Amino acid sequence: MSDVYVVGADLIKFGRYPDRTPAQLGAEAALLALDDAGLTVHDLDVVYASSTFNAASMIAQQVLKQIGQTGVPCVNVSNACASGATAFREAFIGIKSGIYDVALVVGVEKNPKGLLGGPPAAGPSPEGLFGSGTTPAMFAEAGMVHAAAYGTTIEQFAQVAVKNHHHATMNPKAMYQIETPLDQVLASEMIAWPLTKLMCSANVDGAAATILVSERKAREMGLSRAARIIGSALASDPWQPRNPALLDADSVTRLAVAKAYEMAGLGPDDLDMVELHDCFATAEILHYENLGLCGEGMAGALIDSGETALGGRIPVNVSGGLLSKGHPIGATGVANIVEIVQHLRGEAGARQVDGARIGLAHVLGFSAIAGVCGVHILEKA
Amino acid sequence: MGEAVTALPCKPATAILQISEAGEPWLRGYRCAVCAAVVADPTLCCRACGSRVTPGAVRLSTRGKLFTWAMVYRSFPGVAVPFVSAIVDFDDGLTVKGTLRATDPEMLHAGMPVVAVFDDAGGARDADGAAYLGYHFEPVGGAAA
Repeated sequence: MSDVYVVGADLIKFGRYPDRTPAQLGAEAALLALDDAGLTVHDLDVVYASSTFNAASMIAQQVLKQIGQTGVPCVNVSNACASGATAFREAFIGIKSGIYDVALVVGVEKNPKGLLGGPPAAGPSPEGLFGSGTTPAMFAEAGMVHAAAYGTTIEQFAQVAVKNHHHATMNPKAMYQIETPLDQVLASEMIAWPLTKLMCSANVDGAAATILVSERKAREMGLSRAARIIGSALASDPWQPRNPALLDADSVTRLAVAKAYEMAGLGPDDLDMVELHDCFATAEILHYENLGLCGEGMAGALIDSGETALGGRIPVNVSGGLLSKGHPIGATGVANIVEIVQHLRGEAGARQVDGARIGLAHVLGFSAIAGVCGVHILEKA
Repeated sequence: MGEAVTALPCKPATAILQISEAGEPWLRGYRCAVCAAVVADPTLCCRACGSRVTPGAVRLSTRGKLFTWAMVYRSFPGVAVPFVSAIVDFDDGLTVKGTLRATDPEMLHAGMPVVAVFDDAGGARDADGAAYLGYHFEPVGGAAA
């Protein structure tokens, strides 16, 4: 079967766009990615669009109404925070199968404002009556499990935010470009212990897009700026006795990443960089171990070591991550792949990971009752 | 915050809560007859083992152990904070989230015994004025706020 390559990758600056529609944001990202690849809308065989909150409105077709209604197949994906990775993987499968040569994957979101989370209720709102269904509370609870087991401190969780906000100062497409020293992170509003506001992802609008092509098309175009997809995995939350009362970020991530490593024929020691799902600072700590970047219980020591900062052994979230670049939910899973591609090309500017050849992108999605994880591994072609 | 339930009838504020014909509140789970997994909601097959023997409703003990928790300082608008969002492993095998009332949250620790106490769901009423049945957790041996 054909290898699959990413030949176009870009995103709009993440922020708030109250006067623009999701389709307009997605169309801008799509054109950026097409221009990056040197292709036009007429080259596309298929469009996969991801949007957690807008997929049901046929966002892929709406994007084509903005940039050219060519009549190609459109697939609309909503899969929580893994929507983008799901759409990307479907495009990968479509090209690998031989059905398509050129696919656009566009992730777009206009997030609801404020705290996200909580199930709909027929009776009184369960929030506060039966614990909390907000996403920060869910990830605080999961972080407290790690703290209880390994003695992880609030300072160690907070250092994740210090690092990722620092990284974002080098990313002009990030929502924030602001240094946040440890004392500032700890002093910001406490949301759900141990998560302060600066340890929660930035709730923003955004769009990101990639162009995937077959090996035949990639060779025709030239491989100099191409990235090969060598691992692609998607998992749903497997049975665990505490699921769904306890958000289980671990089992689903470990399932997906094991499959991705197996497909790629490599392991965590072979990675040059990782973009992982730091929706909250506690999540990054959990995923260090889930992705095998360190041993069990060693994630606190790993953040302390500085090895996951730019210049370290395995830089994590040099884009600024969801904490600082921002988390437009349906776009996030595409945006973190865009980041990997830019580094493999050596085009990431001030935050470039020197000599990056292999990168991993991970996203984790949850509703109140269900979970999903997507992992992709890309290699410089 | 709501007081302990003394007057019924009322209706359950969340699905795990049930009220017997005698007006007595109880906690309902569903146990798989094949693998003994317990879940909070009815399913066609067992979600743990896939058995087609439909898990049957069981009455759960109100006693359990605190597994983890978060002290919540910001919630949705109008929700009183702070409160403890707790995840409790019931002795019968079901894990449930609830609000834990404790005088001193600093004293919370994983594994501490807690009990589910029935309450009036914060005094909530439906459109017809009917009261609700709720629950919260308290540390075993008192020390509830």
